[in-house]
Amino acid sequence: MDILTDLLAWFADPAQWTGGTGIPARTGEHVYYSLLGLSLSAAVAVPLGLVTGHTGVGGFLTTSLANFARALPTIGVLFLIVLAAGIGLVPVLCALVALAVPPILVNTHEGVRGVEPRLRDAAFGMGMRGHQVLLRLELPVAVPLILIGMRTAAVQVVATATIAAYVGVGGLGRYIVDGQARQDLTMMLGGSTLVVLLAVLTTLLFAGLRRLLAAPGPRTGAEAAR
Amino acid sequence: MITFEGAAKLYPDGTVAVDDLHLTVETGQTTVFVGPSGSGKTTSLRMINRMVEPTGGSVLIDGQDVRRRDPAALRRSIGYVIQQAGLFPHRTVRDNIATVPLLLGWGRAGARARATELMELVGLEPSQARRYPHQLSGGQQQRVGVARALAADPPILLMDEPFSAVDPVVRASLQDELLRLQEDLHKTIVFVTHDIDEAVRLGDRIAVFRPGGRLAQYDSPERLLAAPRDAFVESFVGYDRGVRRLSFFPARELSLREDVVFGDGTAAGTAAASMRGEPWALVVTDDRVPLGWVGAGQLARVPADTALGSLGLAPYGHTFAVGTDSLRAALDAAVLSPAGRAVGVDAAGRVVGVVSQDDLGTALWSVTE
Amino acid sequence: MIAEAWDWAARVTEWGVANWSHPGESDRGVLPRLTEHMRLAYLSILIGLVLALPLGLACARWRPLYPPVLTGVNVLYSVPSIALFFLMLPYTGFSDWTAVVPLALYTLVVLLPNVVDGLRQVPDHVRQAAVAMGFGPLRRLVYVETPVAVPVIIAGLRVASVATISMVSVASLVGLGGLGQLILSDGFRRQFDAPIVVGIVLTVLLAFVTDAVLVLAQRLLTPWTRGDGGGAARPRRRRRAAVPTGADAASASAGTVGPEAADAARARYPVRTGRGPGYTAEEGRSWTS
Repeated sequence: MDILTDLLAWFADPAQWTGGTGIPARTGEHVYYSLLGLSLSAAVAVPLGLVTGHTGVGGFLTTSLANFARALPTIGVLFLIVLAAGIGLVPVLCALVALAVPPILVNTHEGVRGVEPRLRDAAFGMGMRGHQVLLRLELPVAVPLILIGMRTAAVQVVATATIAAYVGVGGLGRYIVDGQARQDLTMMLGGSTLVVLLAVLTTLLFAGLRRLLAAPGPRTGAEAAR
Repeated sequence: MITFEGAAKLYPDGTVAVDDLHLTVETGQTTVFVGPSGSGKTTSLRMINRMVEPTGGSVLIDGQDVRRRDPAALRRSIGYVIQQAGLFPHRTVRDNIATVPLLLGWGRAGARARATELMELVGLEPSQARRYPHQLSGGQQQRVGVARALAADPPILLMDEPFSAVDPVVRASLQDELLRLQEDLHKTIVFVTHDIDEAVRLGDRIAVFRPGGRLAQYDSPERLLAAPRDAFVESFVGYDRGVRRLSFFPARELSLREDVVFGDGTAAGTAAASMRGEPWALVVTDDRVPLGWVGAGQLARVPADTALGSLGLAPYGHTFAVGTDSLRAALDAAVLSPAGRAVGVDAAGRVVGVVSQDDLGTALWSVTE
Repeated sequence: MIAEAWDWAARVTEWGVANWSHPGESDRGVLPRLTEHMRLAYLSILIGLVLALPLGLACARWRPLYPPVLTGVNVLYSVPSIALFFLMLPYTGFSDWTAVVPLALYTLVVLLPNVVDGLRQVPDHVRQAAVAMGFGPLRRLVYVETPVAVPVIIAGLRVASVATISMVSVASLVGLGGLGQLILSDGFRRQFDAPIVVGIVLTVLLAFVTDAVLVLAQRLLTPWTRGDGGGAARPRRRRRAAVPTGADAASASAGTVGPEAADAARARYPVRTGRGPGYTAEEGRSWTS
């Protein structure tokens, strides 16, 4: 139980909670990278998925892309991009986006594709134009699935942002990297604990978001069928 | 008026969905497209609001080719009801109904007010306005579907097998509701179904489609049942078309016998004397509520002064309403009666008279000629 | 441009071939890393599967058990593997278990909902028919429920194995072996791209080969699902979704008997696909009815 005591002492140390290398600052960095990576990914993937889903073009490509991305080793992608583009936030963001886009893209695409044909038929039959069908029917119905994709991506991003410390940026991964360098087990464990907490918090956040964003109609119904 | 002028739909794989369709749908009437699956009835319906574009010929609404109109604008002016309603799962009942008014730019308040109005029209409780479709029964969903189609008060209503997914009892009530609505609204309704009974019930005119997308017969329901044009139509309308056709003839033309109807205080001897060979007499109360049948043989066995009301009577079975029912209902009542005779009643349920088998037979013969 | 790319690819391949293995130095080269990678991954998957089966059976049998277990599973799913590896360090040191325990847990997490849903998805009329014919609970499990569950379980296994194989690489950050070590030590630390690319390519290949083997196994084990000719290579568009993780999966992957379930659960991200003829248990419950 030495480890636990050490860990508690590490967290209790007031020095941990101030300054540029303190827990708040590191957590802030981590959240900042993650948010930035996730928003960029969503900004790319959601519109793209909506368009491919709506038009049905590129469905095979997105699914294949997702299957491929799932098999990619995260650290390989990160290190390769950093090696090619140099150390810094931009290469790290590139890696985060590369890893977060596929799940969001696929889920958006499939969410839109998954709208029942007769609903689309009803929408067009009532005189909606293509963009109206997309925005008034397909997008809202796809929201729960898009959020699941975002959650998968977010968890992925938080994890990868940890690894990003190996390529010289900040965030909670710094505790792990610096701890390794100094042979300081407590520091490594402290960093890992914080990462776990942040990841769990992210999942909870998405659970809440889903409750908030998904209309009650599809939530109780479609999700049961999903 | 909707006119199909040689409309055809040929798919690239060679399938002929609709083949050279010539047909006119009269304004203000209900026209039913009926046929087995693969007969092109739905495809034809969908040509009207350009959900399907014909590959040959054209479809005209009031003389204007639908292809000259913007599809979205055209569709907003035509109500569209589909199987299982196709309600948007993420919108409340009220917002579902308000969809087209919103598309037409009525504004939220106006659209919602209209939706509330329509809920009442189709028989939905106002408390259901904020519900989501999945919280409704199939029948209620279909009512919402009809309300949504009527929201912008379109002159034309297209209904594509709207009631096929609900159980028979609910279907019957939805059909009644549609008939009632149509009496007030006089929309031009095109209704697709594969159920000939539904077609006969709802249609002013019926178009029977055969596989391969050809029109087999286009006629009034009576004519269709009376004179199917060929073997296909005959087999499609069913073996009991003769009986079903009786629905179109009113029972009021039947001759009703009063001389075999007796009050329950009448003496058996008196009754027996006035029956003149008829095997059954109907016993009624003073208010002419039917009590039951008594047989001539039974009357012969009891003392002549026995009151009819004190005898053991056979149940009178079903009755038919003389003023409103059809010959089919009268025949049905006769078949179900232990005496083989139908009891005709007035709107208040009081016995008007009894139809003898001879008279019923004569009436049936006269209509089948 | 194209010529450069070719040169680069050739250079990477040459490096991989030249460093495939070093005779006499059994721990150097690409091959030992690959075998390490396979050892860590397959051990984790196997342990996860062995744990998931009884636990899933218990959850299918005692229903109240499932929701809390599912919540736990959901939380575990969100924990980054790298954090778990480090948290294992004080207990397991630099042994294989540091990687195997978190990865086995991860497999368990992905697999459990599929096991439960697979066992539960036997259509009610089939279950009742079995009871009516005099099947006891155990017999029913062996002859009815398990065979129906196999495609769904294998679908989960495919997802879990691909994810596990790619995550083993992360274990190199803790100081463990596998292809990740190639990427980190030989590649990144030396600022040399060839080992990184070789590492990535081999990881992906290993994942795909494993996936293909599982598909083959499923086709051999459940010949009755082959009916619609749904190829092993490409899932066609099918309607049912499968989110083989957590709460989403709870309501997700069930519902289909036959190959669509297997293919639908293929992706870790829920892949919903076209309208299949399969039995869909939830159809009746959804708002559409």
